[in-house]
Amino acid sequence: MEKEKVESKEGIEEIRIGVYVCHCGLNIAGSVDCEEVAKFAATLPHVVLAQDNRYSCSDQGQELIKKDIKEHKLNRVVVASCSPRLHEPTFRKACEDAGLNKYLFEMANIREQCSWVHLYDRKAATEKAKDLVKMAVAKTALLQPAEENEVPIIRKALVIGGGVAGIQAALDLADTGYKVYLVEKEPSIGGRMAQIDKTFPTMDCSICILAPKMSDVGHHPSIELLANSEVVDVKGYIGNFHVKVLKKPRYVTKDCSACGECVKVCPVIAPNEFDAGLAIRHAIYTPFAQAVPSTYIIDMNMCLNKDGVMVCDKCIKACDREAINFEMKPETIEFDVGTLIVATGADIFDPSALPNYGYGKYPNVITSLEFERLINAGGPSGGHLIRPSDMQIPNRVAFVQCVGSRSDKSGKLYCSNVCCMNTIKDSLLIKEHWPETEIYVFYVDIRAYGKGFEDLYKRARKEGVVFIRGLPAEIIEDKKTRNLWLIGENTLQKELYKMNVDMAILSVGLEPRKDSEIMQRLLTLSRTQDGFFMEAHPKLRPVDAATGGIFFAGCAEAPKDIKDSVTQASAAAARAGILMAKGKVTVEAVTPISYPENCKACGLCTKVCPYNAITLNKELKRIEIVEAACGGCGTCAAECPFGALTQNHFTDEQIIAQIDAVTEYDADKKIVAFCCNWCAYAGADFAGVSRMQYPPNVRIIRTMCSGRVAPGFIERAFARGAAAVLVAGCHPGDCHYINANYHTQKRVERFWKKMEQQGLNKERLQLLWASAAEGERFASKIREMQEIVEKIASEEIETGKKVFEKIEGGS
Amino acid sequence: MPVRLWRTPLDAEKVKLPKAEIHIFKDQCKGCGFCIQFCPKKVLEESEEINAGGVHPPKIIDESKCVICSFCTSVCPDFAIFVVEKPCKKGC
Repeated sequence: MEKEKVESKEGIEEIRIGVYVCHCGLNIAGSVDCEEVAKFAATLPHVVLAQDNRYSCSDQGQELIKKDIKEHKLNRVVVASCSPRLHEPTFRKACEDAGLNKYLFEMANIREQCSWVHLYDRKAATEKAKDLVKMAVAKTALLQPAEENEVPIIRKALVIGGGVAGIQAALDLADTGYKVYLVEKEPSIGGRMAQIDKTFPTMDCSICILAPKMSDVGHHPSIELLANSEVVDVKGYIGNFHVKVLKKPRYVTKDCSACGECVKVCPVIAPNEFDAGLAIRHAIYTPFAQAVPSTYIIDMNMCLNKDGVMVCDKCIKACDREAINFEMKPETIEFDVGTLIVATGADIFDPSALPNYGYGKYPNVITSLEFERLINAGGPSGGHLIRPSDMQIPNRVAFVQCVGSRSDKSGKLYCSNVCCMNTIKDSLLIKEHWPETEIYVFYVDIRAYGKGFEDLYKRARKEGVVFIRGLPAEIIEDKKTRNLWLIGENTLQKELYKMNVDMAILSVGLEPRKDSEIMQRLLTLSRTQDGFFMEAHPKLRPVDAATGGIFFAGCAEAPKDIKDSVTQASAAAARAGILMAKGKVTVEAVTPISYPENCKACGLCTKVCPYNAITLNKELKRIEIVEAACGGCGTCAAECPFGALTQNHFTDEQIIAQIDAVTEYDADKKIVAFCCNWCAYAGADFAGVSRMQYPPNVRIIRTMCSGRVAPGFIERAFARGAAAVLVAGCHPGDCHYINANYHTQKRVERFWKKMEQQGLNKERLQLLWASAAEGERFASKIREMQEIVEKIASEEIETGKKVFEKIEGGS
Repeated sequence: MPVRLWRTPLDAEKVKLPKAEIHIFKDQCKGCGFCIQFCPKKVLEESEEINAGGVHPPKIIDESKCVICSFCTSVCPDFAIFVVEKPCKKGC
């Protein structure tokens, strides 16, 4: 075995790699012959030690690695086990404990991307695992130690959204002692919880328990409340976000004593959004009595003075405190924060999308939100549940569940989580006020999973609420009485029903905010297929965003009830607090390395950098890199035509070594796949977690961003005779590096053109956008590519080899 | 809160906005059209008739839309228009 030597600071050093092949119980060993893989690993260059063990991540497993590093003088370690997205930090820590720089560690993903996706083909899975280990070893031999930069964290936080989650997060952080900016786009904080009458399962008055918290926010010395405001720009990175907030004018100053005299004289009226349109408000108004800030506001879309001509001054005349000021202008407020909590909440499903229920056409079909306002003593009917058609109290009421939820035909696929219990609570509220009312709940499944929920469900049944399984297919109105006929099938008794009721309440689901995209773009977040924001890890980092320093609370992440929102908000505050208490964070050393001697000062890298972390010094004819601002996508390195830039830990040599390892044998049957860490690689992991089976001839090379994939890598793969190449990244707009994947698209399109010009089959290069939740999308792409690979003639591969060898040699 | 608002609010009839009574001195009008142009509720339009000054004075399209802001009175250079609150009869 040849023993190459590399130069390091300490001088010439012999590379000594230790390889550990993990069984992961039977998770890997069930379909991969780990012993054989370890034996194979021992034959690879620079490997001085290779063994298989049951659980590498266990304490014993880690201790073994530490012991071997010392005893066998290992200076590089490879663990072939699960996804690096799961245990890379664990093993890096073990290496560091043994005095080995953590950047000298590499993982081969033989679980999520091998054993779990090739469950029934032990031979192929074992061969693939060998290849994956070979790739990891090839890269590892070229790894270099790196030091991580420390970035200070500003001890201030921004909370976006002033619903109960945002309120809780802001209070927790402020009570810990941090300065908090709370931005709310509505005139008052409070969110959905302020609109609700009672909460389940304890039947507390919602606003009664919320109002004190709202008031605390308003008075807290460490909280700066920016209501009627929107975040318009966020720049920066973990610990150092620069935020711009647009504070829209209220046209009423803080001198307002909320006496309400102005409202009496205002001649313009409109439906009040807070009361779901069931009550009116004036152009000058406060959304509800407990609003914080209590300062009134003028709705300039409605005010007679909207065109800039002072037509009406009635409110000005009525205001003793001279608090009305039509001269107010929108203000942009700028500040810096270290952490950010997204608590933007959810929208409510609009049931007019389901014409069979007649919402928007029949006055006595209402939504559960409208119900809350009707049953609320402070609402438009003074707490009387009345039929909008004739203001009479109904005798027979129906609740229809899952409106907009759990349906592949209409609305959303997911369960909205809160509607079952909300309906049970609502039915009990009706029984409390009008015990004689007949109540029918039409449902698919009743989900009473939480603490105290089952008791409430039982209570409702005991009180005589009738639960009928099977949603109505249609609601028809009796034109004379305005009563409603609900027609459907009782699926438990297998019989049709036709039920006459006075009023029907549609239990509407929750959906992602319509403007989620704006927040997603501002903060470079990703979203699940449902459209809600995606957490960094569904189990172990459930409140962290994938972007450092950003956390989620409340329905922005998924539909949840008040208790869960508050729990998550406190968790998010604690997570943000950990960062701020520490006051500094280390940034992964995946920043660019430059070779000034090759640099032609063309400035291409500065144009593609999503973070503006590279600037061109025209005088000195060189580039300058701000490492702290660098996000670590590596798209600059992919763009540089002169080899003057590469990325730490993902160098050209390392990636090419991986490509070469894949293509050493049977290249003409293999697919070389470049997957970005955040979406495509995570999607491939998800395919594994879900045990989706796909052909075993794909070899995944992980890069932080698909923007790292230089055309040279694709050329190399084809020059070495690879059958096909896949470049996979986040969906456009979902890129974790703002927009780096747009450059991926451009490069791949250019490459396709090149292939066409050379007479090559451009199907051999595929581009895929797959999110971390789209395992099936990834798996089916590999299946599709397998068909392409099978059709490719050996002449085609030979031509490709010649074409790209020439180009490679030429450049 | 993007909830679609389509209902007539339940208390719409209870909220009594003052009813207007618009008075126009047609012959005093010189037809500048300010009252028509600036009325925030677009209550007025130019009439077909010709007044003593030979111009078209304004006419009322829908008096019930008027909110008595009295801006027409303020901008009228000829003191030709004013609005008063309709005296409250039974049931208002």
